[in-house]
Amino acid sequence: MLFLKKENQSGVNDLFKKVLVANRGEIAVRIIKACQEMGIKTVAIYSDVDKDATHVQIADESINLGDPTPIESYLNIPKIIKIAEGTGSEAIHPGYGFLAENPDFAKSCKDIGIKFIGPDSKVISLMGDKIAAKTTMEKAGLPVIPGYHGLKQNTDTLIREGKKIGFPLLVKATAGGGGKGMRIVYSEDLLEQSIEGAKRESKSAFGDDSVFLEKYIDKPRHIEFQILADEHDNVIHLFERECSIQRRHQKIIEETPSPVMTLELRKKMGHAAVAAAKAVGYTNAGTVEFMIDKDLNFYFMEMNTRLQVEHPITEATTGIDLAKWQLRIASGEKLTLKQSEIIQRGHAIECRIYAEDPANGFLPSTGTISKVDPPKGPNIRDDSGIFSGIKITPYYDPLLSKLVVYAENREECLNKMKWALSHYVVLGVTTNISFLSEVLKHDEFRKGNISTHFIDDYFKDWTITKDGLPIDAIISLAVYDSIHTKREEIVRYKEADPHSPWKHFGRWRVGGRGI
Amino acid sequence: MFINYEHENHVYNVTIERRENYFFITYDNTEYKVEAEETKPGQLKIKIADRIIKSIITEGEKEKFVFVNGQVFRVKPVELTGKKKVRKREEGNLSSPISGKVVSVKVKNGDSVKKGEVLMVIEAMKMEYLIRAPYTGKIKNVNFKENDQVEIGQSTVDVDKEV
Repeated sequence: MLFLKKENQSGVNDLFKKVLVANRGEIAVRIIKACQEMGIKTVAIYSDVDKDATHVQIADESINLGDPTPIESYLNIPKIIKIAEGTGSEAIHPGYGFLAENPDFAKSCKDIGIKFIGPDSKVISLMGDKIAAKTTMEKAGLPVIPGYHGLKQNTDTLIREGKKIGFPLLVKATAGGGGKGMRIVYSEDLLEQSIEGAKRESKSAFGDDSVFLEKYIDKPRHIEFQILADEHDNVIHLFERECSIQRRHQKIIEETPSPVMTLELRKKMGHAAVAAAKAVGYTNAGTVEFMIDKDLNFYFMEMNTRLQVEHPITEATTGIDLAKWQLRIASGEKLTLKQSEIIQRGHAIECRIYAEDPANGFLPSTGTISKVDPPKGPNIRDDSGIFSGIKITPYYDPLLSKLVVYAENREECLNKMKWALSHYVVLGVTTNISFLSEVLKHDEFRKGNISTHFIDDYFKDWTITKDGLPIDAIISLAVYDSIHTKREEIVRYKEADPHSPWKHFGRWRVGGRGI
Repeated sequence: MFINYEHENHVYNVTIERRENYFFITYDNTEYKVEAEETKPGQLKIKIADRIIKSIITEGEKEKFVFVNGQVFRVKPVELTGKKKVRKREEGNLSSPISGKVVSVKVKNGDSVKKGEVLMVIEAMKMEYLIRAPYTGKIKNVNFKENDQVEIGQSTVDVDKEV
């Protein structure tokens, strides 16, 4: 290693002096703020379309990556490494997505003596290979789901193996994550096109088209365990997160504790999560994902070798700052937190605010955000990368912000989240806020009867109820226009414009013509 | 002052008059007498009878956005000619649901396709959108090739229906 770690008086390694944050949006902002609290200087990187972004504004230094295409910017390893060297950064925090789980990136960092904030590249590589990960975990004594994880990747073999396992069947990218490169196949005739689709999507998202097949468990829950591991063989878990509410395999609402969790199950799963981390010599923050069936049997699914999007709910209920611990662990500090001292307290929920249009098939919406005003109040956290005037482009993930609330118990927490969502102002770009509110109001959600099929089961054909403009909106608009229209403008409209609506008023109707 | 607001294909005819400290708003044969102030730019506090409406309004390029009671409404100005442009979706004209990049083109001019067959794959924000044949027929024209940028609403593939 080229950089030297100095020991201070207490024998603890000094923290980094400067960290490059290789990401954008809310997570870059979150990490930069953690660094600032710890007195660490930060370097932001940004593509041309992100030049005014929050992370660019708040970092000590911001370096332009040019072309906004991900592969030319936030995925461009040589460019990022060069910037890290040029700015004298001692470490790189990859955030989530982009290069966070790219072993080549972790290795490139290590090779030039820059600390990658995450586990070793070999561990990322092993866990990124979903097939090898399952085999490893099975050997370590964790329960896994039956499937085909073979290396023969030609379509004929996959079809044959798929038929053996039976339907419904899951086709998933070996290098996948976040629902990309994933297909559920309900019948044999759709198998071939699903395999090809998953391969294509995987190739474009991860540069690798291998897939695996697995028995599809009906209406499972998705429950994951947060772990922290230092570089001195200490591993702890920070309890579970219930992430069953997903749309197209993308989580939208997460909570902790899980409504279905029992003390006994938590102990068992927590133990398994720690065993999983130890089996691969894991270091830094990580997440072990499990699938839970109706009878509360759990199966190892995968390990995410990064800070998760939904990490704030764990922070809310344990009081532990995961981003800061990532920085401390990477700088060589020992984990001073003891398993027995970590307490789960109260209830936390996260809602992911996406720029997508629920009334139009949840297609991503782009444009300029004319106004943002997030809700404020006790135990409300808004991890955001947006502000009034920012342009939302189609280049990156449409996540705008994460709204996290905390309360004494689940019911209070739900009420707080409903309040917070109804006070979250985002104008100019359509968001999924109305949809999130509807999900929270659903009776089965309130009862905690959820599975990864919840959205498909209850919200498949959901659209916004179109009751038209309410009178409060009409009055507001009229008052606004009255205040903002000058008298002369009205006169000019009336007299100068032959097509003026004022002239046609009363003779005009929708869908018809002026008579 | 007369104002017409268009929201989801409905037009709302409203009149508003300002007299001293009050605004008189007439809509649907009802008059509302309100007191109002703009507390911050675009932020309104309106007193109507015994309740308060709090709303936030911003102006986009062609529309206004209203946030009131936790909901957002997008309101467009009424077209001045009075002619309502009804965008008729031509049969066989498959417009792109999203702005993005064409990652795969499955057909070429003259190909016969079955209903539901995937014709083109468009990728945006790391998700894939499939353009499928709306009916069985023949490909008349493929308007984009792989790696092309396609904008929302642009016609991707023209398909002649089998007769």
